[in-house]
Amino acid sequence: MPETDLIEIRVHGRGGQGGVTAAKILAAIHAHLGRSVQAFGDYGGERSGAPIRAYLRASRAPITSRNKVYAPDHLIVLDPSLLDAGTLSGLKGGGTLLLNTSEPIDAFNGRFDAFRLAVIDATAIARARGIGSRAVVIVNTTIAGAFARIFDLPFAALEHAYQHLGLARDLPAAREAFERVQVRETAEAMAPGARLGLPPLPDVMPLVEHTESPAVTLKTGSWRTQTPRYADGLAPCSASCPAGNDVVGFVQALDKHGVEAAAEILAKTTPLPSVCGRVCPAPCMDGCNRRELDGAVDIRALERWIGDHTEPARPSTALGMSEQGTNAVSPEPARPSTALGMSEQGTKAISPDDAHAEAAHAEAAHPERSRGTSGPGASKSFAIVGGGPAGLSAAHALATLGHRATILEADRELGGVLRSGIPVYRLAREALDRDIGRLLARGVEARLGERISRERVADLARDFDGVILATGLERQRGLDVPGAKLSGITQGLTFLRQLAMGEKIALDGDVVVLGGGNTAIDCARSALRAGAARVTIAYRRGRDEMPAIKEEITEADNEGVELALLRAPVGFSGNGRVRAVRLAEVELGEPDQSGRRSPKVTERVDELACDVVLLALGQSADLSVLPERWTLRDGRCFDGEHATRVFAAGDVSTGEGTVTHAIGDGRRAAFRAMAACGLEVEIPPRLDVANAVPASAVRFGHYPGSSPAAHEHRVPSSLAGDFAEVDGGLASPAEASRCFSCGTCTECDTCLVYCPEGIIDRRPGGYDIDLEQCKGCGICVAECPRKAMEMVMT
Amino acid sequence: MSAELISANHAAALATILAARANRTARGFGSGVYPITPQTESIERICEETFEKGHVVRVESEHSAMAVCMGFSLGGLRAFTASSSNGLAYMAENVFAAAFYRLPIVMMAVNRTLGPPWNIWVDHGDTLALRDAGWIQLYCEDNQEVADSVLAAFRIAEDRRVLLPAMVCQDAFILSHTMMMTDLPPQAEVDAFLPPLDLPHRVTARPLVVGGLDPPRETEVHRRQHQEAMNAVFEVHEEVRGEFKRVFGRELPPAIVPYRLDDAETIFVSMGTTAATVRQVVDAARARGEKVGSLRIRMFRPFPEALLRAAFAGRKRIAVLDRDLSPGLGGIVFSEVRGLADPGALVQNYMIGLGGGDVRAEHIERILADVRARERAGAPEFVEVGG
Repeated sequence: MPETDLIEIRVHGRGGQGGVTAAKILAAIHAHLGRSVQAFGDYGGERSGAPIRAYLRASRAPITSRNKVYAPDHLIVLDPSLLDAGTLSGLKGGGTLLLNTSEPIDAFNGRFDAFRLAVIDATAIARARGIGSRAVVIVNTTIAGAFARIFDLPFAALEHAYQHLGLARDLPAAREAFERVQVRETAEAMAPGARLGLPPLPDVMPLVEHTESPAVTLKTGSWRTQTPRYADGLAPCSASCPAGNDVVGFVQALDKHGVEAAAEILAKTTPLPSVCGRVCPAPCMDGCNRRELDGAVDIRALERWIGDHTEPARPSTALGMSEQGTNAVSPEPARPSTALGMSEQGTKAISPDDAHAEAAHAEAAHPERSRGTSGPGASKSFAIVGGGPAGLSAAHALATLGHRATILEADRELGGVLRSGIPVYRLAREALDRDIGRLLARGVEARLGERISRERVADLARDFDGVILATGLERQRGLDVPGAKLSGITQGLTFLRQLAMGEKIALDGDVVVLGGGNTAIDCARSALRAGAARVTIAYRRGRDEMPAIKEEITEADNEGVELALLRAPVGFSGNGRVRAVRLAEVELGEPDQSGRRSPKVTERVDELACDVVLLALGQSADLSVLPERWTLRDGRCFDGEHATRVFAAGDVSTGEGTVTHAIGDGRRAAFRAMAACGLEVEIPPRLDVANAVPASAVRFGHYPGSSPAAHEHRVPSSLAGDFAEVDGGLASPAEASRCFSCGTCTECDTCLVYCPEGIIDRRPGGYDIDLEQCKGCGICVAECPRKAMEMVMT
Repeated sequence: MSAELISANHAAALATILAARANRTARGFGSGVYPITPQTESIERICEETFEKGHVVRVESEHSAMAVCMGFSLGGLRAFTASSSNGLAYMAENVFAAAFYRLPIVMMAVNRTLGPPWNIWVDHGDTLALRDAGWIQLYCEDNQEVADSVLAAFRIAEDRRVLLPAMVCQDAFILSHTMMMTDLPPQAEVDAFLPPLDLPHRVTARPLVVGGLDPPRETEVHRRQHQEAMNAVFEVHEEVRGEFKRVFGRELPPAIVPYRLDDAETIFVSMGTTAATVRQVVDAARARGEKVGSLRIRMFRPFPEALLRAAFAGRKRIAVLDRDLSPGLGGIVFSEVRGLADPGALVQNYMIGLGGGDVRAEHIERILADVRARERAGAPEFVEVGG
């Protein structure tokens, strides 16, 4: 065998570039020239992006070698990132190094001088001609043109080979490489002794001694073009919560770590879990992805469970109230007597000493925040006008961050509309007082019976570092139709307030409630309890359009409240006292901008006999509390053009009308007020449901089906006089286990189990992905049941 | 067809396609296929082909693949499948069955290390574990031999004197995925070489029980007849080699392939592609004046005992290279050939290239030095070559 005739070539590329085919193409060219050829690749790691080697032998004599090429005559490198000592190993001195690179040949001055160097930007040529995909350009057919040129092979042989292999389309690319390849001849002789010897073999651990996964020498991480990572996605429940609660966080905490842990999370954003757990319209449940499987998680009831089963917050030792006797806040669970007792006591002032002591306490609790009386970390004092949900939330946010919050409430008890407007059968006073008790235990001061006049507002702005107006909606909408002044026609909220204040109201006969919101439902159900014989709700749209909480409408239905839908009041009749309400039929027209169909009142009118009419037509803000020249813009009060430190919160500002909105807005106003007096705080962002994990990203198959848990429900034998709470809530917090935990890792091990490489390991609090081995296949991300992982470009 | 630059997987597939068409005037072609690395390319190529008279059934396992082949073959179709390694292990029950049914099925087996731990590279242990399954076994050294052996295997298997299944074995990747120029004859020549299959015991429209209870008397006769059929293979193989040369103008290698054996005192015995590397060392040793030769065993079943005994006559030192291991014994090839050497000859076993390591001339030189320096044979030696 004429050994001098044999050429051995090694090709280095990455999986997908076509390295093995490159060897085959070059073999085909040589075969066309009448030579014996052999082309083969290294197998075992041949995946996309992985470094691969291919080999070519060509000789006039038959080829007998069956070995890989360890001392190649020439080297072809398809990817410049592979240019290291391992790649060059064994290349004979004076041999050709054909390199696919975007660099010009001058860029290699002083490098590879022992070899004949040829460079061609085959990737650019192939990409321009659309060979392969944009991501993985196949360069083999192009670089073969350069190869033919530098080895003086006739282009006709290449053409013939391409025709035979069905690659004729790539001939122009090969031609371009043939013409553009740059060559630098060998500059110096190779040092002797560089020929590869037999390397010593590594030790191998006996199979029976493996006690953990064997070390892997092949670092497949280099194949990766995308990388998986754990990333908290936004859960739709949390994104939907107007109060800004970390809903998925507290539900998961309840499921995994118990009620105290859940309460701690809730307490970061809301002082009213027992309240919201009863009366919230629960947009979180509308957003819950589990709706698409077998019913939303009963988040509202879980919040109630947490509020009702938690110890009160650790009392502030500096509260000072305990010294006054009636306001003792003990570590015991808040009891009605605690908060009610305060109301009995009336206005409560904290002495300056107490305030200092409280500041000292706050400093001890939050040394990083309280750095004396000035500067960004100083403790500040704020006045909150109004003890409804927005005011309570603002006070909560301020107290939680170590500031002094003083609530000025016109009524003799805190709670605002929660106390006066929501009937007790729906929101038990114990629940409201429990939440308020917890808030006061945080050191919030309450001055009861203080109605703030417009003159006082300016004083407050001077006396405090910031003021928050949370006066709610004090004006009730009336009806301007014939007969509206007849007796027996009352504002529903007035009726509810009278009931709440313990007035004995005995209704008999027929009651008509006008409206379709929660107040309307509350009025109707309260009217039944006050003794009404028959109660009808008249609403101008259909049942589906009623803004009241759906479950409440069902409850009213069950209790015998009648619904007169698509009916609008156009007048009342009666002689001094109302005898009937005149209701016109309504037709629904085209949907308006909000998507609701606008009602069109028709001429068809009926009379509905009644003895009492309760108006539940909505409320509006009373801004007369603002001093002269003051205006309210985007929740902040301006004195002329001067921005004051007075902010409006809740319904007075937004009119959004729910407790949860009021909580969110109260907290946001508190943060704005803190920022306005120089405190370094981050104003809570409004979350966009559009960014939340969609139901389509949740892998339902990972979750066994389960229906929402039933509530303990009390069915009164007779409604009259029975104002006890109807909905007993959940029997246990097990409902929390139905939560998908959308977007938040629960350490369920699915990623670990599904990783085909077995390179995801548990660690405290999560997982580690061995990025030296991760190929970026994305199976962990695809299998994650809750989209708590994502792929990012490497 | 003419010479093509193809892998040995495709060489086997294209030869099978030619053989399949050659049976078009009889009952055509049938195949049950299931993929496994490194064999998959071959059945993929067969699946791509449109047969005018043939069926390729994609099944769910190797066991079923052979079952389908048995059904086709019993129906008189020319049947083929391919497998490898653990696929063969899973197929094993029906591998035996095919032989005991005396069905002339041809299977291309790519030799791959049995796992676990998993290994996709060459090792002869998978097909050698089936040496007692009653199949003819041919081990190839290059792409051309793979193609030619598939054609020859059908002819031998279908011979009335034989009627046994045949396995054509090739080394994983070193052959299966290496592209070399391979000559595939035109259909007319294959038609001339391979007559239509006329299986005497094929199932016809008349229902027939096959493989029912075989009492001891029947079984002892059937086993003897199986042995006689195997013994007939040597003669048939030689005839087929003659026919092959006559029709295709090319030599089909003999059952054992000698290289520079003449006056050799020290000889290597090997199978598969190792023999190519051994020949480089034989050439180098001869150049140094050493009397060294090589013998490649191409046909392992039936075992060419007489040929080997004759070839071993007069040799003083025999190095038997096994790319396999029967744990607790040593090399399987060694265990079969050791008793055939002259009394007093030194027969030493070397395990080399287990798990697919690249067996190079340097390694064979070390073995040569070892066997020449020995005073007596010892326990099997494990030669480790690394990756």
